[in-house]
Amino acid sequence: MLRPFIAASWHGHRNDPNIPDPVREVWQRKFRGRGFGGKQSNVDLAILDSEGNLVHWFDAFRRMGPRRVPDGGQGQKHESLGDYTVRGLKQAIPALDLSHAPTAEHPLKLPDLEQSGIRIFVRLLEERMIAYRAPVVEVVALNKKDWKTLNYPRKKRRVEAAALKKWLSQVYPPGVMERTSQQTKKVYQIDRIEGDLTIKPAGSDGKMRYALLRGKVRLTDEGPGDFTYGGELEVVLTYSESNPGPLSLRGVFEGIYPRYNPVQRQSRDIPLRAAFESLPEGDKTPRLFPQ
Amino acid sequence: MDKYSMRGLCIVFALLLMPVAIAPAQVPEVGAVLDRYKAFRPGKDDLAMYQIDWASSLQEAQKRALREKRPVFLVIIHAQYGDLSSGHC
Repeated sequence: MLRPFIAASWHGHRNDPNIPDPVREVWQRKFRGRGFGGKQSNVDLAILDSEGNLVHWFDAFRRMGPRRVPDGGQGQKHESLGDYTVRGLKQAIPALDLSHAPTAEHPLKLPDLEQSGIRIFVRLLEERMIAYRAPVVEVVALNKKDWKTLNYPRKKRRVEAAALKKWLSQVYPPGVMERTSQQTKKVYQIDRIEGDLTIKPAGSDGKMRYALLRGKVRLTDEGPGDFTYGGELEVVLTYSESNPGPLSLRGVFEGIYPRYNPVQRQSRDIPLRAAFESLPEGDKTPRLFPQ
Repeated sequence: MDKYSMRGLCIVFALLLMPVAIAPAQVPEVGAVLDRYKAFRPGKDDLAMYQIDWASSLQEAQKRALREKRPVFLVIIHAQYGDLSSGHC
């Protein structure tokens, strides 16, 4: 359904100095004394034509609760959020010229880097609110010094988890409102990474040598209350037979995130998982940093 | 060759073979971590958001829209933060 469109997002407040024209127009209409009784959400979807004119807009979340729609057979079902979005888009389509729109599926394009680094997928296995299960995808550029920490271990050696802070600090879930600064409205960043990891040789398959990096990691954010959580890190690194610099990195983090509910004044332990992969992808690419 | 010499030879052979024998024995440990990586990495369906043709900003989307004669789907978030491209917010 979104295939014809170029998508973009914008965030800001009504008193911001440089609100783009389409956003200003949507908000003028939205807040024109219609008295939603506080039922509107803080996310709107707008459709613009190729010249930037606002064609249609709607609140991203239903204001009046789910309605019932045909289920494709004889019965009815509750309208999902997806159905509701499609309904909003369909209202805009008659006013759009889609003759130049691509018909082919857009390729999956994950956040990437032009230099070497790590891609991090984070997932909170939240059972109560499915939206929080959506994966986070971050990329972090790494330099030669960062990679050197993970050089091939001739024998088992210790690695300070703090040395991996650049990428491990991205292991936090989305939508952590309770760990957001009331002043800046920004999520508290991970300030401290602690843990003694070990890296040890893990054999060779004749083409590549392997090493395993393992250990417990504890993450503490910069906010008040010494908020901390932890888990276990397991990473596989590959190396050529002759060079100590890593060729690739793949691994996982598995831990527990204690999510505090300020209304119920209690904390729930929710599984938090992450997967890591080096960029550029694959073992056959040139080594991450020539030594 | 007496039985002691024979045992000595076996030990020598065993020692010679040891580094070779250890290496493949440890690779399954590597395989187990890589299996967990595959299980933890979100699949194509979970990453469907990245199949949308995202522009890095509204400005860029509008430039492209004019050039490619295509409409724009704009997500407006009334908040001071929120990174839709990474999902961290």
